[in-house]
Amino acid sequence: MSCHESSKLVPDYFDETLSLQQRKAMETHLQNCADCQEALAEAKSINVHLRQWQDEPVPQWQRIPKQLHVKSEPARPRFSFWGQWAPLAGAFVMAVAVMFNVQLQVQDYGFSIAFGGGSGIDQGVIAAQLEEFENEQRAAQQQTLQLLTAQLEERQAGNNARLLETVIEQFGDSTTRSLEQVMAYFEAQRQQDLQLMQTSYQRLADSDFQTIRSMQQLANYVQYQGN
Amino acid sequence: MSFTDQDEALISAALDGSARAWERLVKRYEARVYNFSLRLTGNQTDALDLMQEVFLGVYRNLHRFRGDAQFTTWLFRIAHNKAVDMSRRKYMVTSLSSVAGQDQSDEEVLDHIANDNGEHDPERLLSASQGNAEILGYLDILNWEQRLVVELKVFQSHTFDEIAEMQDISANTAKTRFYTALKLLKAHMEQSHELS
Repeated sequence: MSCHESSKLVPDYFDETLSLQQRKAMETHLQNCADCQEALAEAKSINVHLRQWQDEPVPQWQRIPKQLHVKSEPARPRFSFWGQWAPLAGAFVMAVAVMFNVQLQVQDYGFSIAFGGGSGIDQGVIAAQLEEFENEQRAAQQQTLQLLTAQLEERQAGNNARLLETVIEQFGDSTTRSLEQVMAYFEAQRQQDLQLMQTSYQRLADSDFQTIRSMQQLANYVQYQGN
Repeated sequence: MSFTDQDEALISAALDGSARAWERLVKRYEARVYNFSLRLTGNQTDALDLMQEVFLGVYRNLHRFRGDAQFTTWLFRIAHNKAVDMSRRKYMVTSLSSVAGQDQSDEEVLDHIANDNGEHDPERLLSASQGNAEILGYLDILNWEQRLVVELKVFQSHTFDEIAEMQDISANTAKTRFYTALKLLKAHMEQSHELS
């Protein structure tokens, strides 16, 4: 195929929009051009071959888009009127209850609702409970303090004795006098440590009592606000 | 009631929200759209994806259909646009598009065909009959633009002016693509026959 007309003639042959005059010119050229005859014959053959396509069956697929499902079957609301408003109403009741300090008491003869904090809480009872709690805490801490002090004293005495034995082994009896001085120094240090330890524990205990008092003050304040 | 009138009645009912009417409308054209998609994509999975996109596009734009053109013309215009979109996304024929372009010389084209041993992924053609599998094998050597022109000319019987308008190219460019595609197909068919 060397005729440069082929590239135009072949597509034109398949184009139904050619005028009668154009088609006649094409046929005239074809009668005199073996290259174009061959090119056209091949193109026709390919066209026939491709047109042997047999339509394939369509596999199963979702024909109806989701949007149309929604349109054709209007979805019922998930909740009824009361179902929609119930959570909001519940939240509102809870908010009112918190705001007005509502107290619900269930007793043998029924139940009672009280607004504000005055009627339900006896200030004297709270004060007595806090006093009792403070005393219990104080006694427990004193006991713990004494126990810790005793343990510390015992441990320091043991350490001093072991240190003394070691020194005696190293320096012998000739240094007995010096050792007595060292021993006196250790004893003084031990007493000082004990005092320091007792002071620290006492501060710690005082801090706890102060916390309890703060709680008591807070309870009194809440009581006052309720009233 | 004529075929067109039935289309219009179904379109009107579908626009009013009738799923049944829409389903009937789809069933009238799904085989044509599916086979169009299969010839363009070369495999069932992509063909189904393309068909779904086409009908979804039709559904979304159904209210814009004025009835001044045939529904099939309007439908296949959407199908063409969706196919172009899909080709841009997926590079349907990436393996060949870079070597079988229209700017190639004949030698390059024939070199490419000589290197093509004619084997195509058999899994892609499972659904097709023997003849269809062979046709898909031939179409597979074309790049996307050539394949689309062949589809629109041979199978959809559009004029080159219509093809040019659809693809926003000149009619001469459409003709050149068609002629190049025919040359490629001829060379490939000859080679296949020699091998067999």
